[in-house]
Amino acid sequence: MPDTKDSTNGLENRDPLFHARGLTKVYHPSGEIEVRALDGVDLDLFESELVVLLGASGSGKSTLLNILGGLDIPTDGTLDYRGESLTDADERTLTLFRRDTVGFVFQFYNLIPSLTARENVALITDIARNPMAPEEALALVGLEDRLDHFPAQLSGGEQQRVAIARAIAKRPDVLLCDEPTGALDVKTGITVLEAIARVNEDLGTLAMIITHNAAIADMAGRVIHLSAGHITEIHTNTERRPASTLVW
Amino acid sequence: MRPLDLKLLRDLRTMKGQMLAISLVMACGLTMMIMARGLIVSLETERDRYYAENRFADVFSDLVRAPNSLRSRLMEISGAGTVETRVTGHAILDIPGMDDIAEAILVSIPDERPQQLNILHILQGRLPEHAGRNEIVISKAFADAHGFRPGDTIQATMYGNREELYISGTAMSPEFVYELPPGAFVPDNKRYGVFWMNERELANAFNMDGAFNNVVMTLAPGGNVEAVKAEMDRILRPYGGQISYDRSEQASAQWVETEIEGLRAFALAFPIIFLSVAAFMTSAALTRLVRLQREQIAQLKAFGYSSTAIGIHYFKFTLAAVIAATVMGGVGGLWAGRGIVILYEPFFQFPSLTFRPDYPAVLIGLVASAGAAFLGVLNSVRQAVKLPPAEAMRPEPPAEFKPSRIEALGLQNLVSPAFRMALRNLERKPWQGLFTALGLAMATAIPIVPGAMRDGMNYMMDFQWRLAQRQDVTLGLIEPGSYASFTAMRNLPGVLHAEPFRAVSARIGHGHHERRISLSGLPQDGQLNRLLDADANQIPLPLSGVLLSEKLAEVLDVKPGGTVRLEVQEGRRPVFDIVVAGTITDFADIGAYMDIDALRRLMREGDTVSGAHLTLDSAQWAPFLASAREAPQIGAIVRTRAARESFDETMAELIVIAHTIYFGFAAVLAFGVIYNGARIALSERTRDLATLRVLGYTQREVAGVLIGELALLTLLAILPGLFIGTQLAAAILEAASTETTRFPLVLTGRTYATAVLIVLASSILSFAIVSRRIHKLDLIGVLKARE
Repeated sequence: MPDTKDSTNGLENRDPLFHARGLTKVYHPSGEIEVRALDGVDLDLFESELVVLLGASGSGKSTLLNILGGLDIPTDGTLDYRGESLTDADERTLTLFRRDTVGFVFQFYNLIPSLTARENVALITDIARNPMAPEEALALVGLEDRLDHFPAQLSGGEQQRVAIARAIAKRPDVLLCDEPTGALDVKTGITVLEAIARVNEDLGTLAMIITHNAAIADMAGRVIHLSAGHITEIHTNTERRPASTLVW
Repeated sequence: MRPLDLKLLRDLRTMKGQMLAISLVMACGLTMMIMARGLIVSLETERDRYYAENRFADVFSDLVRAPNSLRSRLMEISGAGTVETRVTGHAILDIPGMDDIAEAILVSIPDERPQQLNILHILQGRLPEHAGRNEIVISKAFADAHGFRPGDTIQATMYGNREELYISGTAMSPEFVYELPPGAFVPDNKRYGVFWMNERELANAFNMDGAFNNVVMTLAPGGNVEAVKAEMDRILRPYGGQISYDRSEQASAQWVETEIEGLRAFALAFPIIFLSVAAFMTSAALTRLVRLQREQIAQLKAFGYSSTAIGIHYFKFTLAAVIAATVMGGVGGLWAGRGIVILYEPFFQFPSLTFRPDYPAVLIGLVASAGAAFLGVLNSVRQAVKLPPAEAMRPEPPAEFKPSRIEALGLQNLVSPAFRMALRNLERKPWQGLFTALGLAMATAIPIVPGAMRDGMNYMMDFQWRLAQRQDVTLGLIEPGSYASFTAMRNLPGVLHAEPFRAVSARIGHGHHERRISLSGLPQDGQLNRLLDADANQIPLPLSGVLLSEKLAEVLDVKPGGTVRLEVQEGRRPVFDIVVAGTITDFADIGAYMDIDALRRLMREGDTVSGAHLTLDSAQWAPFLASAREAPQIGAIVRTRAARESFDETMAELIVIAHTIYFGFAAVLAFGVIYNGARIALSERTRDLATLRVLGYTQREVAGVLIGELALLTLLAILPGLFIGTQLAAAILEAASTETTRFPLVLTGRTYATAVLIVLASSILSFAIVSRRIHKLDLIGVLKARE
């Protein structure tokens, strides 16, 4: 597959959604020890693109996603979203940012067990500014028949698709997916990836998938390789493979 | 220290808030139990010792007048022990610098031999000695209220004669432990005292030479109290004998018993409430802990720890709470008990009332609370140790939920997802919800008790001494007088309006029920001493027939339209049957009322009066009082508002203390229950709540979700709580009421609102403290781990 190293594939002429420079995150798990989870990351992310962030366990990819998603703040460096700084944002600003802008999909779904599929989605549509109906969001991920099922009554793939519906129901500008297929078998994983790809195409959402599964990279527009807190490589797929054709 | 005990200490440290909440609720129950049981033992011990050592009589009787020779007949009554005949009388006092009426009851002591019954406990000075000097011993409470000491003198009007009384000593008597003015229900030591005087001098002052008007006696071993009373009544009847009574009806002894009964109820009800709520709280907290530590338990078992060792380890958590509660409850109970014994001083005149802890009861309370708490955790510990280690190492299967039943009614569209989470959690754990609600209901109920007591007493005061008795002063004549004496009273300085009354002492009977009462004749158009119905509307006085206090009709078991037998103990002593025309509402004493002229006709007398009700020009109070004291015919001056004032003076502090105790305990209960529930909910739903924060819910919104369930329970608990509180207050007021003092149940919006406010405020405080933990939720960590 032809690669273009360190290229933004013509995107550089547009204003980025995320603009990160020298992004650094240092943890001090105990006294003297210092862990540099991110170490001077420069990165621009653009509207409507589908990005896969590849890296091994401990490479810093979750830290990067958490900072992009407003769950964490960097120790050093700057991060802007649409020109607004997230670097020094307070708790309230970050909460509003997550609420209005970001959709999250997690490895372990994080659904509320006491609420049905529809209600888990309604949890978000209740507080979002311009949401779609929960039923519409669930239809987008192919769960229109499972509206009133509780998480315990759904399979893992179905639960993850509820989580995607929950993430997209607010029509977010950014969809951040942390190992969305990590707990799923291949077949189920593909249906989940298809759902993410559909949202990216239909709604024009910036979708970022972090994974250690290199096979998933083929469906991305751009693939970012992270290792030991550094971006080691960014390449652009000239041809994106549909999720349904992926194999791992 | 063994590793498991180290784990215990560290786990206790992380759960210290919850353990403290549990211990506090438990400590409240133990405090009340230790305090109340100790007070019961203290009162009973001192009462028994005092009554026995000072030979408190068993049977009592009043009569009009009998010759001293009758004493030997009384001594021959089968079953009678020691008999003492006495003279009693009443004096109006003139105390320098006191711009109010003070009275004393005078009781004779034998002249030439020591007292045999109701022996005085002399505190200062000595018994009266010098004949002809009007020496008296006065009650300690009265002496203290005025600063009187042996050697001082008091001016008194006795039987119309002004005398100077010389104080030879101060004393207490088992007969007057609760020194109550007639018709009142709190002591009034400034305005009312007890004086003891040598018999001959007292008889002389009251024109009772060679006679007596009061009998006290003990029972011989094996003597039958009912038989003795009946025989005594038979002997005394020709001498104007009232119905004799035993200790159970003797005013002072009755109030001591009422207090002990009240404490007994208190010592049972409140510890049960608090200790059972604490047991439930322990159970809920430990169940959650065991669930959280499921994998640790599995590991311990895999390492070879026995189920028993692990079971004991979790029981030690309960033990820690019980120990903390015992220390706090023990200190609190002893402190409160000692404090309340001091508060008893103005009410109960005992020679040496000290707080005596009831150690056996404390032990029982401790064992009960520990036992209840152990039982509460037994089930969860058993389940935890029962699992094979391999299975226990896997996390518990996810919780199954279903739509709540309320939603089946089609209300789901009306409520938010957060509210639905609360509903479904409640339906999944109905017992936990029920017990939490019950704890909160109890917390709502408790503050209603002091409010109802205060309002009941106020209502009673207001009804009795403002709405019913509108006179400023009631004057009583020494002997019934003619219309001229009424005119004399009406013409005293400052009198604005006067109404005569005729009062005779009488026995009233219906079937086998009999009571001694005052039968009052009132004028038809009277506006001062009014007879009222329950709504405080004046009841017109019937021209024939008699009106009875509701309570009197109840104890006689007679209804309006029925007939009662009246035996008047004065004058011609007429005996007649009369129709009960109706009942009146009153709260103090029991009485019968009729038209004054109808009574006079039955007594075959003309315009006779016993006294007058007066309204006064308050500016003329001093000259009025001076003239009334000087008037030889006047034997009693009663100021209507004095009852209210003495109540306010004596009870105000007590009511504040009672409110503080009840409010404090209710607040601890509500706070503890909510805190425990919220901590458990937070622990159970950390993952859900962190997820909501990640998804963009603000801290406040997440707190709302956490609180939803408990807020719902709080709201659900309020109405049942108000109901339970009402029942509790009714039961306590009923227990505090006697035949002669009846506390009405009055519940105001203020009482209910206060109860609700206390529970809401404690709950909100509790929520606020737990909500602070939402700030500390680990948003990232929760996304990384599977539950």
